[in-house]
Order: sequence, then structure tokens, then C-alpha cells
Amino acid sequence: MELLKVEDIHTYYGSIHALQGISLRVMEGEIVTLIGSNGAGKTTTLNTISGILKPRKGAVYFQGERIDPLRPHQIVAKGVCQSPEGRKIFTRLTVQENLEMGAFIRTDSEGIRQDLDRVYQLFPRLRERRRQVAGTLSGGEQQMLAIGRALMSRPKLLLLDEPSMGLAPVLVETIFDIISDINRQGNPILLVEQNALMAFLIAHRGYVIQSGRIVLEDSVENLQENEMVRKLYLGEEIET
Amino acid sequence: MIPSFEILIDQLINGLTIGGIYALIALGYTLVYGILFMINFAHGEIYMFGSFAGFFVLVQLTRSGFAQQHVYLSILAAFVGAILVSSTLGVLLERIAYRPLRKAPRLAALISAIGASIFLQNVMMLIVKARMQVYPDIFPEDWIEIGSVSISTFQIFIILGSVLMMAGLYFFIKRTKTGKAMRAVAEDKDTAALMGINVDRIIVTTFAVGSALAAVAGVMVGMYYTQINHMMGFIPGIKAFTAAVLGGIGNVVGAMVGGYALGLFEAYGVFILPAQYKDVIAFSLLVLILIFRPRGILGEVVSERA
Ligand SMILES: Nc1ncnc2c1ncn2[C@@H]1O[C@H](COP(=O)(O)OP(=O)(O)OP(=O)(O)O)[C@@H](O)[C@H]1O
Ligand SMILES: [Mg+2]
Repeated sequence: MELLKVEDIHTYYGSIHALQGISLRVMEGEIVTLIGSNGAGKTTTLNTISGILKPRKGAVYFQGERIDPLRPHQIVAKGVCQSPEGRKIFTRLTVQENLEMGAFIRTDSEGIRQDLDRVYQLFPRLRERRRQVAGTLSGGEQQMLAIGRALMSRPKLLLLDEPSMGLAPVLVETIFDIISDINRQGNPILLVEQNALMAFLIAHRGYVIQSGRIVLEDSVENLQENEMVRKLYLGEEIET
Repeated sequence: MIPSFEILIDQLINGLTIGGIYALIALGYTLVYGILFMINFAHGEIYMFGSFAGFFVLVQLTRSGFAQQHVYLSILAAFVGAILVSSTLGVLLERIAYRPLRKAPRLAALISAIGASIFLQNVMMLIVKARMQVYPDIFPEDWIEIGSVSISTFQIFIILGSVLMMAGLYFFIKRTKTGKAMRAVAEDKDTAALMGINVDRIIVTTFAVGSALAAVAGVMVGMYYTQINHMMGFIPGIKAFTAAVLGGIGNVVGAMVGGYALGLFEAYGVFILPAQYKDVIAFSLLVLILIFRPRGILGEVVSERA
């Protein structure tokens, strides 16, 4: 079943035409990855889905309902939650308060407690540091917190913007394992990455974005075989 | 002349009384600054409106004879009325004067605030025909003797009342879901929205809470000094702003500390300068802090965003 449908969106920053007609879909149960180089428009796409940016043309549908006119907090209430680029945790709040903010729209305190537990099980490091001010966490711990925080809303669709950014390779693997786990527990994910190699390991389908346009879409198996993808996004890593 | 112990204690009590008032008003400046990075220069007028709202409630209750029989209930009603009026005013101010300018250069919001301040002063001037008003004298003022020091029950009431309000605010910000959301919004509005927080509603709440604290201060001042007028918000407004800057604008605990520090400075300043220079102390302090330590005592809380 189709969960998210982005239909030919055009998003601007003032007169800068950042998205020039992006269309993509996420089906129930999938991990879909959106790869592209710096400035291609990945973050802009996610922020348009989340309602932080408004498309000048085009539409975004979630579960068949048009969501692009809604305000960001209303879109979260529909079940779309984003873990933004650069983690953006609330540095002056404690770890636990950050997670509580992720659950802001919910009122089922019993369910929230269960999900807190689930996040702490995914990231035991966070449980140890739950009373600590989040700004004092290491980069990797902050990324875990950002993902955990997004999970706390119990999203029907999770948007992740470069979860591997700035992390050591070992940590990247851990984070991707967890993303894969989260998906296996039933969460569809739209994963934005520059690290295509890692993204392809866990995703089902992928889109390639260049200068605000989708230039390629296919299953991960086919993308991995694609000449251009191998050259531009998998680089030398493919040689080894 | 070396002041006697009694006088030193007297001035301590005076300093804590007025310091509590400054702190309550300063919190409004700091809460709004913390979330919108703007100085709400109409905040002194919100305080003034609170004082007048309490005054009107007490006048009505006194006329009807209710206040004479139920003193404490009437005082409570004055506070509730003041809080309702000031909070509504703060919320309207945000809607009408600030929200449309949120994405405009900061100077625009500042000018809008000054305009709102002048407008509100004139509204009250028209309502009360520019006359000085006298708070109904229903609160039984007593003096409590502790050794050779005597303290007015008014002062005890103000000191305890302001501490209680601040403790309440601190609990609200630290422990409640809305308070936590206020801190989240202060740090990063876009990310807060991505968590499902209705940012506009949190900003409105911030204005309402800050205005309510100012209203409480307004009624306390009315009962303590008894005379109020439509210009009364100006000087305390600037002084409370000084207190907020002193503690580190945007920093909630800083506003409390700054309020008491300024109150005590003024109270003990009379030993060095004649009492009529009291205001000079506050404003010299403001200039000195802005030059030498603009981040205040406890440090400005600014977002770490690039
Ligand atoms: N706030 C902004 N104002 C103006 N232009 C912007 C703004 N944010 C992004 N852009 C421009 O829009 C284009 C797309 O940016 P976007 O952040 O979506 O790229 P991205 O694919 O996420 O890149 P990265 O991998 O570096 O995060 C870029 O050309 C960028 O310069
Ligand atoms: Mg990006």
C-alpha cells in the first residue's frame, strides 16, 4: 500500500529554485533511500514533506490525504516524523526530556513509558545518560538520541536525514543496524544519505537526486549495477 | 556615618521587597527574549494594566461592601482579575504587534514594541482621565517586631508571594510538558515543530505566563505604594529590564538573581548617594553591564545554532 506520495514538488528559497519537480513514493514496510551529493536538494525534500517548507507547486500525500498545506506539528500528528540533518537535539534539555519532546503529541503515558523503554533498549548508552544534559553527549550518542527521539512519536513514517553524518565507521554500522531493526519492527523509513554504500545495504528502493531533480529511481539491486551510480555515489569503494 | 544594624536590616527587607517585584517583571522580559530574541518594550505597560485591573476589581468590591467582609477573597480576586487582563493583553500584543513581524528585521519588532507601549499608556490615560488613582486600603497592615527590627506585613506578603510565584514558574518550566516545550522552542523552533510542538501556541503561552507574573507585581505594588497612574510602568519596566540584563537576558534564574541584586543595590545605595539618586543607580548599572559584561552575571542563554 502506498504511504507517502510526493508529486512534482517545486520548492524555492526566495528566488532559488531548489526543488524542480520531485516525485517519489514510499510503500508500507519499505526503506526507501534518497541519495545525492551536497546541495542536491535532499534536506529540502524532507523539509517540504515535514511542512517546514511549502512547495510552490506540486503536492504531498500521506495515506491518501494531502498534507502539504498543513503546519509541521499537524503533519507530525498525522504520523510523519523527521530526525533532522545535523541531529538538532535540544542541547539544554536532558536526554530523557529530549525523548519526551519526541512524544509531545501523545497523551498515552503508559505507551510513552513503553516506548521510552524500547528506545533505551535500542540504545543502552542513552539510558545511562538519561539525566545528563544532551549537549554533553558525544556525536554518536547525539545521533542515537535524535533517532530515538523521532521514534518516540510512534511515527507511521520515519524520515531520517543523513544519520551517518560525522560518525566513525563502526558507529555508522551500529546506527544502520538499528535503522534496519526499526524497519523490521514495522516502520517504513525514508532515508536520506550521502553514504550510498551503507544506504544500499539496508534499503529496498532508492532515488537519485541531482540539482533538485530525480534522475534515477530503481530497486537497490539495480541501482548498485548502474554505471552512473557506481561512478558518482559509490566511488572507489566499489573497487575494494 | 556608619548605619546601625537595624537600618541595615531594614534596608535588607526593603531591598528584598522591591527586588522581588523587579524579579517578577524581569522574568517577562527574559522569557520572551529567550524564545523570540526580542525585547518586549511594552512589558512595563502590561504590568501597569495588571495593576489597574486589580485596582478596578478592588474598587468594585469595596463599593459593594464585599471587600470589607471578605478581605482575603477580595485580594485574591484582584490578583485573578489582574492576571486575566494582563495575560490577555500580552497574548493580543504578540498576535497583533509581534507575530506579523517575526521574520522581519529585529529593529521592526522593537519599534513595534515601543509603539505598543505608547499606545497602551495612552489608552489607560484616556480610561482614568490621566488622574492618579489610590488603591482601596483594605489590607490590614501590621508591623511585626523581631528584636529591634519591625517588618511590615505588606513586605512579608510581597517577599513570600514573589518567591512563591518564582518557585511555581521554575517548577512549571522544569517539570511540566509545556515548560519543557518552552525550553525546546527557545532552543530551536524548526526542530521543535518537527517534534509535533505547536510553536505558535508555546510562544503565546510564554507571553501569557510572563504577563501574569507582571500582573502579580502590579497588584503588589498598588497595594504597597497605594498610588498608581498610567505612567507607572515606565521606570519599573526599565529597571526590570536592567535586572534581566544583569542576570543574563534569556536566563530565567538570572532574571530572579538580577531582580534581587538590583533591589538590594538600590536599598543599600542610599548609604552612598541621596535617595533621589536611586534611579541613577539602576541606569548607571545598566550602562556599565552593557559595556563591560553584556552577557550578565549568569550569562546570556543563546541558542547554539550557527
Ligand atoms: N536556507 C536556504 N536559503 C537559500 N538556499 C538554500 C537554503 N537551504 C538550502 N539552500 C540551497 O538549496 C539547495 C538544496 O539544499 P539542500 O540542503 O536541500 O541540499 P542537500 O541535498 O540536503 O545537501 P547536503 O548533502 O549538503 O545536506 C542547495 O543549492 C542549497 O544551497
Ligand atoms: Mg542536507
